[in-house]
Amino acid sequence: MTDLLGLFLIFFRAAAFSVGGQGALPLLRQDFVATGLLTEHQVLEALVVGRVAPGPTGLYIVTLGYFAAGPIGAVLALAAASLPPILMIAIASALRRQLVSAWAAGMVRGVALTASGLLVATSLRLLAPGIALAEVPWWQIVLGVVGTVFAVRARTHPGLVMAGGAVVGLVFAR
Amino acid sequence: MSLVQLARAWIVVATQSFGGGPASLLLIRRELVERRGWLTQRQFLEDYALSKMGLGINLITMSGLIGARIAGRTGAAISVASFILPAAAITLALTAGYLVVRDNPIVQAALAGAGPVAAGMTAGFAFNLARQSVRRGRRSAIDFAYAVAVFVAAFAFDASPIILIPLGVAVGAVLLRGESSRASGEAS
Repeated sequence: MTDLLGLFLIFFRAAAFSVGGQGALPLLRQDFVATGLLTEHQVLEALVVGRVAPGPTGLYIVTLGYFAAGPIGAVLALAAASLPPILMIAIASALRRQLVSAWAAGMVRGVALTASGLLVATSLRLLAPGIALAEVPWWQIVLGVVGTVFAVRARTHPGLVMAGGAVVGLVFAR
Repeated sequence: MSLVQLARAWIVVATQSFGGGPASLLLIRRELVERRGWLTQRQFLEDYALSKMGLGINLITMSGLIGARIAGRTGAAISVASFILPAAAITLALTAGYLVVRDNPIVQAALAGAGPVAAGMTAGFAFNLARQSVRRGRRSAIDFAYAVAVFVAAFAFDASPIILIPLGVAVGAVLLRGESSRASGEAS
């Protein structure tokens, strides 16, 4: 039985220390993989399920929580990850003017740039779960690059791009 | 406008926005700004920009800010609940369904292809995030360099996010000040 309070704190901390739903991924990956609660592969699976589901991409946390502790874990993940953005509603309503100041912009920029560097490192780790990058099959590397390009262009529906990847997987991985 | 209508509009957004943040944003604009006229385009963009400033899933913050504009605290609570709960319930159901078929070899093969795409998309999202966050002109080089330095620290030296993120706040407040970031791109 997973320690439910510990699980709650992992999700809460990741949300409180990040901007945007995907921004929480590097911390979540580290916390789950390091503690042995989940494997790198499971984190990637959660990301795929989260991309298929509707609503914010950040809801992959529901899948992560489910993997870690069943439906209770999923509910816990949602509750923990919702608290910081709900707190932010109050902060943003009260401090609308202050938040557009230069130093606030600098802080947000610092966090956003940090998140982008961390996310690239995390996605490389997820592409090569538990192995060296050089050991990843070439066609998976190509799919990773294709996913990157499509996300940068942001014109094609993410579901379609992933479906394409799944078809390629059916051809090469069997 | 009744609170029931407000809830219904968010449920539409939650259940139909397949494809993550950008799809949700598009539907919020269509349902609440264009179709119902509950807030202006300008207010929509302002709430989006504010929501992107912090703390976790920004679309939760955004739905609350919009709800508060329309119907005060009750509006905020109803908006957040009717946006997040249906989407989370669908995610939960999909997860349960996935666990049933997970060990099927065909599913595993499909995942071997969809997984790398999802990982790549996260990298692409990260690139766009950096691109939208950098300042204009020559200072953009400094900003990009900082993101690259974070990547190297994390990937080559295993530096922990729990150190790098507060460091980013401090470095940003002191060294990366200036124009506010642009309110465009993918929400998550």
